[in-house]
Amino acid sequence: MKIAIQGIGVVGGFGTGVADMRQALLSGVSNRSSVHLSNCGEPLDLSALRAETSRLNDFVPIKAQRRIDNFSKLGLLGAYLALEDAGVLAEGPQERLGVVIASGYGATGITYAFLDSFINDGDICASPTYFANSVHNSAAAYISIMLGATGPSSTVSQFHLSVPSALQTAWLWLAEGRVDRVLFGAVDELSELIGYAWYRQRGRADHSDMIPLVTGRESAIPGEGAAFLLLSRQEEVQGGYCLIDHVTTGRFLKPGFLRTPDELLILGADGRRDMGANYAALTEKSNIACFTPLYGSMPAGPAFDLAVASLMLKEGKTFASPGGSECDFPAQVVPGGSSLEGSRVSSLTLSDDDGYGLVNLTQL
Amino acid sequence: MTSRPVAITGMGCICAAGNNLDDSMASMFRGTRDPAPPLNFFSNHPIRYPVFEARDFVEPPDLLRTSALGLHAAKEALADAGLDQDFLNTLRVGVCVGTTVGCAISNETFCREYRSLSAPGMAPLERILRSNPAAVIAREFGFSGPCQTIVNACSSGTDAVGLAASWIRTGACDIALAGGADELGRITYIGFIALLIADESHCKPFDANRKGLNLGEAGAMLVLESEQVRKLRKKKARSFVLGYGSACDAYHLTAPRPDGAGLKSAIAEALACNNTDPASIAFVNAHGTGTPENDRVETRVLAEVLPGVPFLSTKGYTGHTLGAAGAIEAVFTVACLERGAIPANIGFATPDPELGGTPVTENTSFRGTVALSESLAFGGNNSVLIFGTAGGE
Amino acid sequence: MNTKEKLKKILITDLNLEELAPEDIDDSAPLFGEGLGLDSLDAVELVVIIQKHFGIEIKDMEEGRSAFQSIEALAAYIDRRLAAA
Repeated sequence: MKIAIQGIGVVGGFGTGVADMRQALLSGVSNRSSVHLSNCGEPLDLSALRAETSRLNDFVPIKAQRRIDNFSKLGLLGAYLALEDAGVLAEGPQERLGVVIASGYGATGITYAFLDSFINDGDICASPTYFANSVHNSAAAYISIMLGATGPSSTVSQFHLSVPSALQTAWLWLAEGRVDRVLFGAVDELSELIGYAWYRQRGRADHSDMIPLVTGRESAIPGEGAAFLLLSRQEEVQGGYCLIDHVTTGRFLKPGFLRTPDELLILGADGRRDMGANYAALTEKSNIACFTPLYGSMPAGPAFDLAVASLMLKEGKTFASPGGSECDFPAQVVPGGSSLEGSRVSSLTLSDDDGYGLVNLTQL
Repeated sequence: MTSRPVAITGMGCICAAGNNLDDSMASMFRGTRDPAPPLNFFSNHPIRYPVFEARDFVEPPDLLRTSALGLHAAKEALADAGLDQDFLNTLRVGVCVGTTVGCAISNETFCREYRSLSAPGMAPLERILRSNPAAVIAREFGFSGPCQTIVNACSSGTDAVGLAASWIRTGACDIALAGGADELGRITYIGFIALLIADESHCKPFDANRKGLNLGEAGAMLVLESEQVRKLRKKKARSFVLGYGSACDAYHLTAPRPDGAGLKSAIAEALACNNTDPASIAFVNAHGTGTPENDRVETRVLAEVLPGVPFLSTKGYTGHTLGAAGAIEAVFTVACLERGAIPANIGFATPDPELGGTPVTENTSFRGTVALSESLAFGGNNSVLIFGTAGGE
Repeated sequence: MNTKEKLKKILITDLNLEELAPEDIDDSAPLFGEGLGLDSLDAVELVVIIQKHFGIEIKDMEEGRSAFQSIEALAAYIDRRLAAA
C-alpha cells in the first residue's frame, strides 16, 4: 500500500498556510521573533521562530475558542488548513477519519499555567480547566470534537522521533482499513519554560542564522508550529501532492541506507551542535537539502520537511536550502529549481540516542 | 477484514495490589486493599484523599518513577516469557508504552524556582528528557524495533497493546513489549481533586453512593510474539489478543458522551477483528473508575451490547492508574482467563437504579475462554481489547 | 459593588467570556446549557473561582448545583455563606 498526501496545513515562523510556506521556500527567509524569558538571571528575549494562530478565527467561532490553549489552537489551525487545502472542509462530520498527532513537548504553556494556579493560590485553587487542557492529547481531542471525527484518535510523544513514529501508526490504520483518511499532524509549542530550558541547555546560538549543514557549530533557533497532512490510501483518491512509499524507524542507521543512490535526502539537521556530525556521517555522496531554518528547531520539525517534500514533488522541482551555501557535509547540496521528475525524496530524522526515522516519498 | 490473533507469551506488573502479577492476583482474590493518603508527596489541600501507591518501589535517581515502573514490569514480562538477552539480541523487538506523566515536561520544583526568580537548574527536566518510557525500555535491552510512547490519557495502555498487536501482525517486529506506566505525583493528584472526581473515601465503582475515583500508580507490560518466533522456540502462548477497537466520542474534553456511541463503536470494532461472538464473552473488565458519569455511561452500554455478561472493575484494588490502567487491566484480564475466575468488584455494596447493571460482588468462577477489557479517556477516547486463551492454538 | 456585579466581572475574566459585558448577563438566566452556555467543566472551575475570590469552599457538585442556577442564586448563596462565616 502507498499513501497519498491530499492536503497540507502548516503554521510556523514562515507564516500560515502552504502559500506562505512556498513564499518562504522561494525567498529563503522566515520571520524571526523571540520568546521572552523573565528569569535567566536577567530578562532576555531568546531569538525564536514563532507561530501565530489568528487565522483560526476563520474556522472556529471565537466564543468556541474561549478555553482552548495555544497548543491546541496550533493543532486546530493546522488541521483546518489541511482540510481546506484538500478541498474537503465542507464535508461535515467525519466518521471514517482517524486523527494522529505527534508532539515532542505537548501543551507545556497550559501545563505551567496549571502549576502556577496552585503554586500561587494553594492546592485547593488549582484550575480544573487548565488541568484538563494540559493532557498531551488535548489537541487531538479538540480536533475530533470540532470536526466530528469519531474514528480512532492517538497522540504520540517520542521527542525527536515523534513524527516518523506517529506516521507509522497512521500508515497502519490505513493499511488495516480501520479508517479511510487520517489527519496526521505534528505540533510543538514554545512556551516560556521550554524557551528557558532551551537557553539553559544550549546557550545562545554562535551564528545569527541557522547553518544546519555546518558541523561543530551551535546555530539552532527554537521554533514552534504545526504541520498537518491529510492522508488517504492511494487507490481511493485522485490528485493531491505525492505518495508516501515507506516509513521506517529504528536505531543504528548505517551509511548507504538510501534505496536509490540519486534520491534527494531532506535532513532534519537543525543546527544543534551535538547532532550535526551524526547527520553528516550518514550523507556521504548523497544529494541533500535542509529546510529547518524556515521553521526552527523542534521535535515536530520533520512534519514540516514532509510538507516541503510534498510541495517539491507536486511541482516537480527542488527548492534551495536556506543556509545551504555554507556546508561542510560530504554531500551535494541540491540547488533550487532542479528537476525532480521520476525522483524519490526522503526525509531523515535522527534522535540523540541513535534512533532514526526515514520517510520515502515519490511523485503521484 | 479479520485479523490474526496475536500471542501473549509473558506478562508483568507492579501496582498497589502487588509488586508482581502473582502477588497482585492473590491480593485481589483475598479481597484486600489499603488505599491511604499519599506518602510520596505532600498537599496543603484540607482534605487528604486516599490513593494507591506502589509503596515498596523506589526508582533510581536518574530515571522518572513512571519509566522505572514500566521497566520493572518489562523485566518481569520478559522473564515470564523465558526470553533472555542473547536470544533477544537476534530479534527485532518493538516497545509500545502508554503513559500520561511519562511525557509531561513539567516539574513543580523547576516551575517554583523559575517563578521565584532563582534561575532553576536543569536536572529535573533533563531526567524527564532521558526518561521517555518506551525509549527507556528499548535502551535498557538494546532493542531496535519500532518504539512508541502513546499519550491518549486514560486509554493509553489499552491503545499501546492494540497497536503493538498490529506491529506483530504486519511484521514490523518479531516481539513487542506493550503496556503502560504511570507514577502518582502531586500534579496529577491536585488536578483530579480540582475536577471534583476524587472520592474522599475508598472508591466504590458502580455503587449508588460512588463519589469518584482514587488515583493509583502502576507499570504493566505484555510480551507479544510472532508465530514464527513462537514456533522456533516452541513456546506456548498464555493467551491471544483477539481484537482491538477504538473510537473517539468527539463530544467533550472531560465528559463521556452520554449515549456511549464511541464506546459502542470501539466494542463493535474489537469484536469484528476475529468475528468474536458477543455471547462467548465470559466477563468484562470494565473501566469502572467510580465517577458518577463514567459508571453510568459504561453500564448502560454494556447492558445494551453485552447483556448479562458478568463485569467488574479492578480499580477498587489498584486505584485508577491512568496511562497504565489499560495495560494492568489487560494483564489481569488474561490472568483471570487462565484462572477461570474473577475477583469481587471491591467497594460495591448498593445497586444504583440509574445504572445498566451491577458488578460481581464475590469471587466468581466462569466457563469460557474469551474476555473483554475496556478503557475510556479524557478527550473522548474509547478503547477495547478482547483476549482469548484458545484463540490461535 | 454588590456581589452580583463582582461575580459577573469575575466570570467574564476567569471563564474567558470576553465577548460579553457585565450588563449582557441576565441576573436570572441559567448559567448552564441555554443562557450563558457553560458546561460541566465550567461548573468545576466555578467551584475554584468561588474559593479563590470569596474564600468559600463548595465541597461537591451536589452543593454546587443549587447555587449555580443563575447569577442571582449564586450571589445570594455567596452572601449567605459570608454572613454565616
